[in-house]
Amino acid sequence: MSEAVLRERGPLARIGLRSGPEARAPNLMPYLLAAPLILFMLAFYAMPVVAMLMRSVSDPTWTVANYATLPDDAVFLKTFANTFYTSLIVTLVSLLLGYPVAMALVRAPRWAPIILVLIMLPFWTSVLVRSYAWMVLLGRHGLFNEALIAAGMIDRPLRILNTPLATQIAMSHILLPYMILPIANALRQIDPSLLRAASGLGSPPWRTFLQVTLPLSMPGVAAGVLLVFVLALGFYITPAMVGGPREITISMLIAQRVDQLDWAYAATLSAVLLATALAIIGAFYRLPGVGNAFRMNAR
Amino acid sequence: MSKLRSTRFGRRTTLGLLGAGLAAPFIRPAAAQAAWPEQTTIPDILKGSGEVRIAGFGGTMNDAQIKAYYEPFEKISGIKVRAFPGSDPTKIKAMVETGNVEWDLAQLSRGSIMNLQKRGDYFEKIDYDIVDSGVDPAYRFEYGLEMLVWAQVLAYRKDLVKGEPKGWADFWDTKKFPGERAMYGTTSGGFPEMEFALMAAGVPPDKVYPIDIDKALASYEKIKKDVIKWWDTGAVPIQLLTDREVSMTTVWNGRMAALQAAGVPAEISWAQGLSKRDAWGIPKGAKNKANAMKFVAYSTMAIPQARIAFAIPYGSVNNASNEYIPPDRLAVLPSAPDIKKQLLNYNYDWWIDNREAAVNRFNKWLLS
Repeated sequence: MSEAVLRERGPLARIGLRSGPEARAPNLMPYLLAAPLILFMLAFYAMPVVAMLMRSVSDPTWTVANYATLPDDAVFLKTFANTFYTSLIVTLVSLLLGYPVAMALVRAPRWAPIILVLIMLPFWTSVLVRSYAWMVLLGRHGLFNEALIAAGMIDRPLRILNTPLATQIAMSHILLPYMILPIANALRQIDPSLLRAASGLGSPPWRTFLQVTLPLSMPGVAAGVLLVFVLALGFYITPAMVGGPREITISMLIAQRVDQLDWAYAATLSAVLLATALAIIGAFYRLPGVGNAFRMNAR
Repeated sequence: MSKLRSTRFGRRTTLGLLGAGLAAPFIRPAAAQAAWPEQTTIPDILKGSGEVRIAGFGGTMNDAQIKAYYEPFEKISGIKVRAFPGSDPTKIKAMVETGNVEWDLAQLSRGSIMNLQKRGDYFEKIDYDIVDSGVDPAYRFEYGLEMLVWAQVLAYRKDLVKGEPKGWADFWDTKKFPGERAMYGTTSGGFPEMEFALMAAGVPPDKVYPIDIDKALASYEKIKKDVIKWWDTGAVPIQLLTDREVSMTTVWNGRMAALQAAGVPAEISWAQGLSKRDAWGIPKGAKNKANAMKFVAYSTMAIPQARIAFAIPYGSVNNASNEYIPPDRLAVLPSAPDIKKQLLNYNYDWWIDNREAAVNRFNKWLLS
């Protein structure tokens, strides 16, 4: 973002949503503007979700038995651990792959449109189509294996499809844009004069990156990590299609219980999944630095 | 449960559509081979007015049903048919509980219908006074009528397996028939194929029920490392065979015709397969209950039942249907006499009573 735009943002930010001590009367306009959306979300989203979650304690009678049995439920524990582990790996891979791409997006303006299209094209394609694409690529007789065999690097095809590795690869690819875009956004907001000042004071590029760019991009990193991790927790189609024989995710377990008409237990699992996501979001806000960064970003 | 559910949930919609795309080419040659029989008269009691809203599984199945009996029924009865995709027992549960019943008739399985009925009153009783006498008593039950016979069977690639595997001992024998396997899993409401595991361990077909879960899991243990996928929808095993990811898998028989039509050297081995059925169920409080009942009676008559077999390789529940089906078509139907005797009748009653225990034990075993 150019300096001119940044300068423009200052005064704009001050007149809108903030009601500082200088505000004469509380400004109701923002709330009125948001009211239709809030009412819509309450009626068609929040209420059904709450009603569904209530089943975990009220179906058929008031009880906490559904939650009390979870710690001894080996299937739940394994599934939960597997879902959590996969999300962790996917988040890490997306971060390591996504950060450099975000840097390129911001630092190489000439290539930015092309990079953006490369990121967004798959983003606009359905998850299902992308999962099928990975099946074609990673299969035993797929492009990847055929290429390695043709190059003489392996004799027999590698088993990648239908293993946890395939899930991790495909999910990282699907979720990569959610990592790149917030990081790029944060990088774009770093005042270029800071970088010039660092190098003017004799800092080598790697040090400028570690001490200036990286800390200032943390809000973006935090947002990206949060988005990717929470989205990964709920994945269903991709692990089912390309994953290994023992890969059951929490959302699969929920679907299974819905199908078995055990809606109370399905609601219990959903509540646990939701609570996990909320806990992670809460923890991120409390992290020193990151929380401040979030608030700074909100301004 | 059923093999062509294309719109149960979003994820299945799309999976099913891909399957439907695969299956589409084979409908035309089947239709071209022989003239379809026509039902020219029906009893006056099946005639009426208004409409009937029918929920099926969408996709190829829906195309077949339109041609086999939706259109002919409209013409001959005066009742309009409105077809909906995405039949699902969980939706029926929600519809009946909220009093907003949007379907008059739904394609389900005896298991889904009776599982719901066990928990409350979700279905109307079938009026057997107007049902055709040719419908085999085995397919009749109080809250539904079975109307489509299909099979869950062994399928293999002829280029990867030497000789013809017959039965589950061969499926389990990875020395004699090398290559990876795939089997039906439990991830989205599936049922583990414990019958197959028992027969692989030498249990004779007539002794499979009641299923000994411990024994089934012990048998599964021997094939576990060779099963690379526990599939959850009918398109998956077809994909795995096409891509040579497995040499042998279990499949829903209707899917194989499309695969073979596409030139994939794959074959069904019917021996020790499971014969399963789809059923019509009328949700409690359906607005056009009488019309739904008339349609149930019509669609299970001999000729409409024969017509569905022209469109899709699934068998009929009416004993008189076979005379309307040419021999080469009959040879690929699970209701053909020669094939029927090789299949084990799926015991819905056992599964209705033991589903949760069996599935939970299976999950635990799989993750251990």
